[in-house]
Amino acid sequence: MTAVDALTMARYADVIRLRAVRMVAPHGFGYLGQALSSAELFATLYSRHYDPGRDSLVVSPGHYIIAAFAAAPEAGLLDEEALATYGFDDSALEAIGTERSPAVDLTGGSLGMGLSGAAGLALADRLQGRSDARVFAVVSDGELEEGQVWEAALFAAHNRLGSLIVLLDANDSQVDGPVSSITTLEPIAAKWESFGWAAFDVDGHDTAAIDEALTAATADTRPAVVIGRTSTKHGLSVLPEGADGHFIKLPAPLAEAAIKELEARLA
Amino acid sequence: MLKQPYPTVMKPYGRALVDLARKRPEILCLTGDLTRQTEIDLFQEQIPERFVHGGMAEANMISMAGALARRGFLPFVHTFGVFATRRPLDQIINSVAYPNLPVRIVGFMPGVSSPGGPSHQAIDDVALMRAVPNMTVVDLADATQIRAALPSIADIPGPVYLRLKRGEIPVIFDDDHEFSLTKAETLIEGTDLAVIASGMMLSSAISAADTLAAAGVSASVVNVPVIKPLDADSIISAVSGVSAVITAENHSVIGGLGSAVAEAMAEAAVAVPLRRIGLRDTFAEGSRTASHLFRKYRLGTQDIVDTAWELLRREGQPPQVQAAEAAG
Repeated sequence: MTAVDALTMARYADVIRLRAVRMVAPHGFGYLGQALSSAELFATLYSRHYDPGRDSLVVSPGHYIIAAFAAAPEAGLLDEEALATYGFDDSALEAIGTERSPAVDLTGGSLGMGLSGAAGLALADRLQGRSDARVFAVVSDGELEEGQVWEAALFAAHNRLGSLIVLLDANDSQVDGPVSSITTLEPIAAKWESFGWAAFDVDGHDTAAIDEALTAATADTRPAVVIGRTSTKHGLSVLPEGADGHFIKLPAPLAEAAIKELEARLA
Repeated sequence: MLKQPYPTVMKPYGRALVDLARKRPEILCLTGDLTRQTEIDLFQEQIPERFVHGGMAEANMISMAGALARRGFLPFVHTFGVFATRRPLDQIINSVAYPNLPVRIVGFMPGVSSPGGPSHQAIDDVALMRAVPNMTVVDLADATQIRAALPSIADIPGPVYLRLKRGEIPVIFDDDHEFSLTKAETLIEGTDLAVIASGMMLSSAISAADTLAAAGVSASVVNVPVIKPLDADSIISAVSGVSAVITAENHSVIGGLGSAVAEAMAEAAVAVPLRRIGLRDTFAEGSRTASHLFRKYRLGTQDIVDTAWELLRREGQPPQVQAAEAAG
């Protein structure tokens, strides 16, 4: 990857952040932290790896659908104007992913189910002879507390679903606080490896590192997980120190400041 | 309709599924570590390329089945009814029912037919599945109907919960029996009483009607293989001219066939006394044999007869069911 590519992807990540701020701002609160932590993961995936015509995309935690929506226009999956309807009554762009959510193959609000769905899609690709198709699944670290994730991990490894790639947003955030204060998940990479997966542990805000990991994950014949170490406040310095990463309050003055910061960086 | 005692056959479902899958290449067969027990060892042997071991991981299996259905497959998921509905309820709702996907969840060993104790008794599966939007709920315990029903069940556009008896399956209906997914069927016409039954309780309902007939009580028997959507019109028509109604289900009386019939009767303002035969809000212990539990928890043919006798305020002792029929 060239320096220009890296710069382009970093800008794409900030575009995702800016759109997410604008989507949350009218409501005064929302799942902004998820977009801030996963912006580089989505930007890198969409820029250099995910082909919507060939691959499948699963956003397991429906709360992350904001990031998929914000990233979708560049991939030709959603008109940018539609983002303005996010979270309003009767919008197809509900704040937590539903069956009507555009721009993804599968999402849902009851956490821990997406990886099973992704395994099902990968199995379908195999049974239907789509050997070049890959299935990307965005999964959150909090979801690893759900047993079903590990059922799916066992199934995928046993059945050698090598086309399955997880992007794990390890932002150490869940409703009750830092994930690490609720449940010890570490060592995350070793857990996946012991389940038969290839695991790549990277800085989730470093697009070059994510890109390299996704390339290696694709080449590996095992199912693979790219663990992105991230923060729910990354890329937005105006957020107060104690902001709740799961559900960020964004009153109008803060939203204005956030838009100003991101617009300045993108100028 | 054949006469009692009914002949029985082994594994009619397993054979019927293989036959259907030969014609329908989109059918997949998934198992939750209960392959022989759910009659699909034949499928595994004959169509291994469409057979998937989910292992003891029902949540994952159900969510995967939903994803496979999104890609055009028709997944039939097999385990015991209790494991098919309790543990993966959230997965059934979110991965299958809400997206309205054609996943067939096949749960064996209904109600107290299990020798495995309360952990293995699906006594609330119908109630759970009835409450889920988009779900069709079918309860079958006759070999002819299982074979006749499978192609229609495969054609339902949304999800289906199919509840099946395990092991020896009675043959109640003739080969030319026509199965309907939309009609409850009055098998015996009667004027005093209507017995409305599903699944394993159908043969008991027929026996009870025979016993009552010999004692001068004219009982109709209505078979309700599809509990949801309920054919309320046929039910209302069957209960409108009689003096008493009994529902019979191998399930809790809460949320299953009895509840569905009660709801239909209440909404149609049919003021006929109703009794529900089934598990009376209890778990069933002491289960070395199914017949013991059917007696202990008052799910037997004699219980239907006794209930009818009391409900119709007949004088004297209720007639006794012949010993050969009393067990079931």
